[in-house]
Amino acid sequence: MLKKVLIANRGEIAVRVIRACRELGIKTVAVYSTADKNALHAMLADEAVCIGGPQSKDSYLNVRAIISACEITGAEAIHPGFGFLSENPAFARMCEKCGIVFIGPRATSIEMLGDKAQAKETMKENGVPVIMGSDGAISNIHAAKTLARDLGYPVLVKASAGGGGRGIRIVESEEELEPMMKAARQEALACFGNDEVYIEKFIKDPKHIEIQILADDYGDVIYLGERDCSMQRRRQKVLEEAPSPASFMTEELRAKMGRAAVTAARVCGYRNAGTIEFLVDSNGDFYFMEMNTRIQVEHPITEAVTGIDLVKQQLLIAGGERLTIKQEDVKLTGHAIECRINAEDPANDFRPSPGRINSMFIPGGFGVRVDTAAYSGYEIPPYYDSMIGKLIVHGKNREEAIAKMNWALAEFIVDGVATNVDFQLKLIRRPEFIDGNYDNGFLNRTDILADERGED
Amino acid sequence: MQFDEFFSVVRERLGSDKGDDNSKKKTDIPAGLLFKCPRCRSVTFIEEFNQNGKVCPNCNYHSRLTARERLKITADDGSFREFDRKMISKNPIDFPGYDAKQKELREKTGLNDAVLTGRAKIHHEDVVLIVMDSNYMMASMGSVVGERITRAIEYATEKKLPVVAFTASGGARMQEGIVSLMQMAKTSGAVARHNEAGGLYISVMTDPTTGGVTASFASLGDIIIAEPKVLIGFAGRRVIEGTIKQKLPDDFQSAEFMLENGFVDMIVERNKMRRVLAHLIRLHRMPEIKEVGSDE
Repeated sequence: MLKKVLIANRGEIAVRVIRACRELGIKTVAVYSTADKNALHAMLADEAVCIGGPQSKDSYLNVRAIISACEITGAEAIHPGFGFLSENPAFARMCEKCGIVFIGPRATSIEMLGDKAQAKETMKENGVPVIMGSDGAISNIHAAKTLARDLGYPVLVKASAGGGGRGIRIVESEEELEPMMKAARQEALACFGNDEVYIEKFIKDPKHIEIQILADDYGDVIYLGERDCSMQRRRQKVLEEAPSPASFMTEELRAKMGRAAVTAARVCGYRNAGTIEFLVDSNGDFYFMEMNTRIQVEHPITEAVTGIDLVKQQLLIAGGERLTIKQEDVKLTGHAIECRINAEDPANDFRPSPGRINSMFIPGGFGVRVDTAAYSGYEIPPYYDSMIGKLIVHGKNREEAIAKMNWALAEFIVDGVATNVDFQLKLIRRPEFIDGNYDNGFLNRTDILADERGED
Repeated sequence: MQFDEFFSVVRERLGSDKGDDNSKKKTDIPAGLLFKCPRCRSVTFIEEFNQNGKVCPNCNYHSRLTARERLKITADDGSFREFDRKMISKNPIDFPGYDAKQKELREKTGLNDAVLTGRAKIHHEDVVLIVMDSNYMMASMGSVVGERITRAIEYATEKKLPVVAFTASGGARMQEGIVSLMQMAKTSGAVARHNEAGGLYISVMTDPTTGGVTASFASLGDIIIAEPKVLIGFAGRRVIEGTIKQKLPDDFQSAEFMLENGFVDMIVERNKMRRVLAHLIRLHRMPEIKEVGSDE
């Protein structure tokens, strides 16, 4: 068992880790930037060490200061939280070499999974479904036609050097393939100085569904059901639920995805908590996207439906304990939804709204959980991300969870800074949300605040 | 501050303490894991620094590269065919210790002299590449450096290929005396003939480009590029100050100063260099978009 853990993070996740440590009798060390002197994590931990200036690179990414803080406080392990250094293989390796326990996977696993092309290749070799396509660049039109026919239209033509949506074409039929490839190559050449393109199967209106896994140091891996994170705005998750409300989701599909996730974790020698993200089409066919090698923001909804404290499990696994939970012990109960509460102004293109919270009211009650590091009088610094809390509800079914979320959001009051609470409230009242079959593109296509603007 | 007092009750109620300090152990960061920038003093993981082309992600300091490293980030994978690999220099003026020094450097750097020349592709564009390596006697130009560069340019002229030269040098190689000074004329002559034949020559000045190399082929590019903040000059700062009895401006002999005064055409960051070179090469020949379906 670990004795003292340094949390190399801030905000609600740092507080979350401190609380889990307390329950396990582990001493905690918080690190904080000069802008976070009054941050909750710094005030709640047993010890707190200032590690640098407000900019992340000077503090929460300041490796030397963090390692030094470990040294002066005698912390034997580092919990990286999410973001910052959590998925940096170099940091994990440094911890390993310094004899500090990194609460997460081995550096080699992070490295392997961080290389998207390599990760995809490894998954494919081990029978985890990936989005099929040409292996590398393709230039010969005959080969392209044959491949596209095998994949089935529509297909995507993408620039190898691409990014930002440029050099991408959706091709619906064989007649379009040649002109579209030509266009994509010209655009790629103009944008990236490289006209290589590749082809892959186009997944229409997919859902983002991810599987939580836990793995110990002794080769045991279990999956803890799925989270549906399709409610995304510009690739940022807004609301998550477990289990997925999609009509295609069945016990069989869940088990199939779970087994694929366990395989994915095994083949990269994975240890600790991790998440395998899949794209799932409307037929319930799923494809490996990537693996997140850390605890995730939305982990509480899995905790709600499984009754398993994921952060405590992380600490136990890092302390060298065996998983005591077997796959057959994992039972999903009821339905959980999480709304991310951000200090941002939805009416102003979701611009972050840092500043002082004059006062706030946090709802509570049966099946309601709020993870936050904000409090009345707290000044949200402008240097870090705008999430100030997470509202999680757990009901016996989805209907009850939505009903709880309705009143809980309504009671969530933050005075002093703009928040997305009203946006979330509007969102959960949309028929598309209630129906549950919304896909990744829903929030990008739909203006949730349209009626408000119409009234103005 | 009042908030600290406000929350301190939590720690009190929980009987919070720091635990026994007996668990304290010495944590040393092993060497070679971090890069400490000599300019801004910030610290970066060595992996990140290497992946960033040995450029400091904090202040954009461009650290020096070996010729092999430069090749790796410039030429398409596996496209480099080296010229004159076996050419090694004699000791034309019987300079004491020169042979031994060369032998030692050959073993240490894996190079046979201070420049690599050869044919390569940059984003599919055929070029002749010249890459100097400051780890080999500060890339000073002796007979082998001069001869390899001259031959590479002549090859390019004959095959109608563009030349891209990454220059770095402390100047002429004093251990070869007058022979090394003659390399200035020889390389300049090759550039002139390449120019007359209508060939393109792009010179990329990297840190440091000085002395006889600045005074010959490095400054003769049709297009002269420099990496940010590199040192470009002929004689050293103190020599000039001593000679003209004047204080020189702080940014004297920097790439930026050279750009302002018209000795350099553009400053290009390392991570954009490959694209810019490919783009320039394409601009200087008639563009032809290859047909989809033509087997390359």
